[in-house]
Amino acid sequence: MNIALFVAIPLGFAFISILHKKLAPILLIAASLFIIVGLSFVQNGETVIGGFEAPYGIHLLMDSYRLTALYIVNILFLSVVLLNIRKYHQMSTVLLISLTGLNGLIMTGDLFNLFVFLEISGISAYLITSTNKNPLASFQYLVAGTVGSSLYLFGLILLYAMFGSLNLADLSMQVSQLTDKTPVLLPFLLMFLGLGVEVKLLPLNSWVKGILKDANTLSGPMIASVYAAAMSLVFGRILIDLFVFEGRFIVIVSTILLVSILAGEAMAYQSKNVKEILLYSSVAQAGLVVLLFVSGLASWALFMVMANAISKMILFTIIASASEENGDDITVLQGIFTNNKLIGFSFTIASLSVIGLPLFMGFVVKMNALNHLFGEQMFLAIIAILLASVVEGIYFVRLLLHLWTPSETTVTFDIRMKAVLFALAVMLIVFGITVEPIESLKDTIEIGLNVGGTSWRI
Amino acid sequence: MLQIAGLLLMMLGLYGLLTNRNVIKIILALNILEIGLNIFIISIGFVRGGEAPIFSSETTSNALVYVDPLPQALVLTAIVIGVGTTALGLAFAKQIYAKYHTFELDEMGEE
Amino acid sequence: MANIELLILITLSLGLLSYVLYHFSPRLSSALTILGSFFVFGSVLYHGYIGSFDVSSTLLPYVSFSSSALSIFFAVIITFTYAMVSLFNPYFLKTHKAGNVHNLLFLSTLAFVLGVLFTNHFMTMFFFFEAVVWTSLFMIPLKGSKSAAIMYYRFSAFGSFALLGAIFLLKANSGTFLITESLAVVDGAHQLVIFILLVVAGMAKLGAFPFHIWLPEVLGKAPDHTSALFSGGLEKLGAFIIVFALVRVAPVGATFAAIDLAWSRYAVAILGALTIVFGTLMAIRQDDAKKLLAYSSMSNGGYMLVAFSLMNSISVMGGLYHVLAHALASVAAFLAIAAVARQTNTTKMSELGGMIHKMPITYMVYLIAIISMAGIPPMGGFISKWLIFQAVINKGLIFVAVAVFFGSVGSFLYVFRPLAALFLGQELPQYKKTLKEAPSLMLLAMLILSVLNIFTGVFPTPILKVINTVIVEMGMNEVVLTTFTIEGFNGLLHPGLIALVFMVGVFVAFVIFISLKKSKKVGLMDTYTAGNFIYTEELMHYSVDFYAPLERLYEKYIDIARNVYRSLDHKIKEFARLIKYFIFTYKPEITAFWVVLILILFLWGDIA
Repeated sequence: MNIALFVAIPLGFAFISILHKKLAPILLIAASLFIIVGLSFVQNGETVIGGFEAPYGIHLLMDSYRLTALYIVNILFLSVVLLNIRKYHQMSTVLLISLTGLNGLIMTGDLFNLFVFLEISGISAYLITSTNKNPLASFQYLVAGTVGSSLYLFGLILLYAMFGSLNLADLSMQVSQLTDKTPVLLPFLLMFLGLGVEVKLLPLNSWVKGILKDANTLSGPMIASVYAAAMSLVFGRILIDLFVFEGRFIVIVSTILLVSILAGEAMAYQSKNVKEILLYSSVAQAGLVVLLFVSGLASWALFMVMANAISKMILFTIIASASEENGDDITVLQGIFTNNKLIGFSFTIASLSVIGLPLFMGFVVKMNALNHLFGEQMFLAIIAILLASVVEGIYFVRLLLHLWTPSETTVTFDIRMKAVLFALAVMLIVFGITVEPIESLKDTIEIGLNVGGTSWRI
Repeated sequence: MLQIAGLLLMMLGLYGLLTNRNVIKIILALNILEIGLNIFIISIGFVRGGEAPIFSSETTSNALVYVDPLPQALVLTAIVIGVGTTALGLAFAKQIYAKYHTFELDEMGEE
Repeated sequence: MANIELLILITLSLGLLSYVLYHFSPRLSSALTILGSFFVFGSVLYHGYIGSFDVSSTLLPYVSFSSSALSIFFAVIITFTYAMVSLFNPYFLKTHKAGNVHNLLFLSTLAFVLGVLFTNHFMTMFFFFEAVVWTSLFMIPLKGSKSAAIMYYRFSAFGSFALLGAIFLLKANSGTFLITESLAVVDGAHQLVIFILLVVAGMAKLGAFPFHIWLPEVLGKAPDHTSALFSGGLEKLGAFIIVFALVRVAPVGATFAAIDLAWSRYAVAILGALTIVFGTLMAIRQDDAKKLLAYSSMSNGGYMLVAFSLMNSISVMGGLYHVLAHALASVAAFLAIAAVARQTNTTKMSELGGMIHKMPITYMVYLIAIISMAGIPPMGGFISKWLIFQAVINKGLIFVAVAVFFGSVGSFLYVFRPLAALFLGQELPQYKKTLKEAPSLMLLAMLILSVLNIFTGVFPTPILKVINTVIVEMGMNEVVLTTFTIEGFNGLLHPGLIALVFMVGVFVAFVIFISLKKSKKVGLMDTYTAGNFIYTEELMHYSVDFYAPLERLYEKYIDIARNVYRSLDHKIKEFARLIKYFIFTYKPEITAFWVVLILILFLWGDIA
C-alpha cells in the first residue's frame, strides 16, 4: 500500500465532492474508513514523491510513531464525523480537506511540505470553527494561525539558508554535527513559537477561548481532540528529531511550558462554565505533553496525547451536546447524568483518566513519565505535574459532583453518541489495565525514533 | 539589501497587526507580513550575477552559477496559500460585518 | 476467609450485589452490608490472631500482599468500626438521597481499606488509597453537602500526591517499589524530602494542623453514621502512613543532644502539639455536636502525632493504643449522636435537651465514650494518654507536655457540653411524645462499643501484648507487662486497681445521691426573664454561649489556618484572572504582541 494514498484519496474525494454535493458525506466516510483499513497494510519506510531522492525531493515517511499517530487521529476523526455527519453534512468537503492536511502533517518528512499541510489543515480548521456562528473568534483564530505559520516558515527558511536542505533527517544530522549551536537557536525559537500557536502554548493561544467557548459537537471535539492530538504529535516529532536546547532558549521554553501548565490549571480552577473549565484544562494538558517531549520521553508523550485526545473527545462531545439549549454554566448543567448513566459513566472515566487515577490510561502514562523524570531528577517538571494533578482533581471533582447531583434537568443524548463515547471510555480502561500493548508499542516506537536533539533539564 | 527590505516589510506587518483594530486593516497587515516573508525567501536563493536556473540552448553547462531555484518554488506555494488565507479572512470579515455592522473591533461590544 | 485477595474481591462483589438488591428490597441490601462487614471483621480478627493469612495473589494483576502485625492491628480496628457502623445502615435508608449508592460505597471503601493495609507494594498502595478517597468522597454528599466533599478532596488529593512524590523518590533511591525494602534504605540527599512528603501525606489524611480544615466540614456534614466511619476508620489510615514516616524510616537531620531527638521529629511533635491545642480550642466553640466531636477527633490525632514522633517503646505503644481507644470512643460518640439525630433530625445542641428521659441507654453510651475521650479512668483513653504523658515528660519536652495536658483538661470542658445539652436538662416539649429509644440493632452496636471502652480501660494487657508484637516487629524493645500492670518510665500502672477505686467513688456518690433530698421539678418556661417576653427560647438554653468568656480570649486568632487557605484560593483565582485578562480576550493582536515580546527577550544583547 502506497502511503501517499492517505493524502491523495481524501484530496481527490474532496474535489469530487464539490462536483457531487449529495455524495459528499458518503465520500467523507469512505475516505476515512479507507484510511483506517489501509493503515493495517502499510509498511515502514519512505515514499518518494515525484522521483526526486531525499534530501532534494519531497517524501512521506512511515514508522511506528507515525503509524500510531495516524491511528489515533483517524479513529478519532471518524468518530467525530460519524456523530455529526447528519447535522453538519455541508462541511463534508472541508472535513475531507482537513483529513488530507492532518495525515500529510503526520507523515511528511520535509519541513516546507509540513508548512503546506499546516496551512491546509489550518484553513479547514478555521472553516470548521465557522459552524460556531462566532465569526469574530474564527477570525482571531485565522490571524493567530497565520502569524504562527509565518513564523514557522521564517524559521525554516533560515534553516535552509544555513544548511541548504529542508529534509528533516538530513537537517537533524547536520545540526547534531554542529560544534557551536547558537546560530540555529533563532530559527528553532521561531518554529517553536509558530507551532506553539497551534499546540495552544500559553501566551500564544488567545484564540482558544473564543473557539472552544462556543464549540458545538463538531468543532469542539475536532479542535480540542483531533487537531490537538495531530498538532502536538507533529510538534513533538520535530522537537525530538531536530531541536537542540541551549542557553536562553531553554529559559524561554521552560518558562512557556511551566506557565502553560500552572496558569492553565489555575484558570480552569477559577472558571465557572464547563466548557471554559475544559478548554483551560486542555491548555495545561498541551503544556504537559510538550514538556514530556522536550524531556525526551517521546513515547510516553505520544501515549499521553492519545489518552488526552480520547478523554477530550468524550468530555467536549458530551458538554457541547448538553449545552446546546441552555448554555454551559455549571449550575445549569447540574444533574444531566441522573437519567443518562452511560453518558455519565463515560464522562467520569474520561475525567478520572485526565487526572491520572489508577485503572485508567492517564494513570499508566503519568506514572511512567514521573518515574523517568524522577530518575533524571528533573524536579521542577515533577512539581509542576504533581501540583497540576491536585488542581485538576479539585475542579473535576467539583464538576462531577455537580453533574451527578440529581435534579429536574432533562437532557437527552443521541443513542449513537452514547455508544461511540462508551466505546472510547472502555478503551481508556482497557489501556489502563493491560499495560502490555503499550509497553511493546513503546519499544518499537523507540527503535524508530531518531533522537537528534539534546535532552535537557529543568 | 533585498533581505533587509523583506525584514522591514515583516516588521511593518507585525506593527500593523499590533496597532490596528479594524478587521480589513488586520488582513492587510497580514498580507504585508507575508509579502515581506516571501521577499526574504527569494533573497535567500539569490546569487549575484547568477543565471536563471533553466537549461536552454544558451546555458547548457553545469559549471555556470545559477540562482537557487528552490526558494522560488517555495514562494510560489506560499503565495497561493497566502491568497487562500486572505480570501478566507475576507469571508470572515463579511460575516463579522453582517453580524455587527462594523469593521472596528472596538465597536463590537464583545468583552 | 484467609486469602486477602479473595476477601477484597468478595467484599467488592457484595457491594455490587447490595447495590442491585436495593432495587428490590432496601432492607435486604442493608442486611447484606452488615453481613459483609461482620464477615470481613471476623476473617481479619481470626486469621490475624492465629497468624494464618494467605497472602498469595492469583486473580488480580500487578497486586501483591503481605501481612504484618502492624497491618493486622490497623485492619482489626478499622474493620471493627465498619462492622459497628454497618448495624446502623438499615435505619438510615430514608435520610439518604441514594441508599443503593451508599451501600455500594460502604462495602467498596471497606475492600479498598484492606488493600491499603495489606499490600506490600507502594504503587498498589497508592492505587488503593486513591480508590478509598474516591469511593468515600461520594459518601459525603449523600446528605446534600457538595462543598464538604470538595473540601475533603482538596486535602486528600494533596496528601495522595505528596505520597506519590514520596513513593517515586523512594523508588529512585532504592530501585524498588516494595514497601519494606524501600523504607529500609532511606538515605542520601532526598532523605529529608521523603520524610516531609510522607509526614505531609499522613497529616493530610489524619486531619492534623495545618491540614485540618476538611475534618469538621466532612464529619459535620456527612450522613450522621458515616461520620463515625470517617472518624474511627478512614482517618486512621493517616495514622498508618504516619507510622511509616515516623517509626519505620530512620531519623532525619541533626539531633538535639539535650532531648536526644532529631529536630525533624521534634518539629512533628510540635505540629502534633499545635493540633491538640487548635482542636481543643475549636471544639470548645462549637454548637453542633458532630462538629464538636470532629474537632475532638482532630486533637486526638495530635496525640498520635506526638506519640509516634518520640520514637520509644512506651510512646509508640501509647500511640497505637490511642488509635484503638480513640476509634472505639469516637465511633461510640458519633453513633450516639447519630441515634439522637435520627430521632430528632438535628445535631445542634441548642435545639436539644432532656434526651436522657427517652434515650437512657444512648446517654450511657455517650457518657462512657466521652470519659474515654477525655482520658479519664477507667476507660481506654486513659491508658493511652498515660503512656503518652510518661513518654513526653520523660523526654523533657516542656512545650509539648503543656499542650498535651492542656488538651486533656480542655476536653473536660467540651465533651461534657453535649452531654449536658443533649441528654440532661429539661425535656423539650416538641420531643416529649414522639421520641423513643434507638432501635435494637443500633443499641447493640453502641453497647458493644461501650463494653469495649470499659474493657480497654480496666484490663488492657491482652491488647497491649498484641501491640508489643507490633513494636518488636518494627525493631524496638518491648514494654514490660504483667497480667495487671504496665511498667512506665516512672512507675507501674495498675488499671484494674484504678477502676476499682473509681467504682468505689461512683458507689459513694450514688449513695449520697439516693440519701439526699430529691430536686424539685420546674416547668420549662418557668424562668426568670427580667419582665421580658421570651421570643426565642433557644437563646435561654444554658448551652448557648456557654464558654463565651473563654472564647473571647482567642476568637480573633482561631481562624488563622482557614484564612490562609482562603487567601491562597483567592490568590490562585486572581492569578488566573490576570492571565485571562492579558491573554484570553477578543484581540487578534495579542498573539503578535507576545511573539514580538518573546523574540525581543531572546535577541536582547545577542544581535552581533
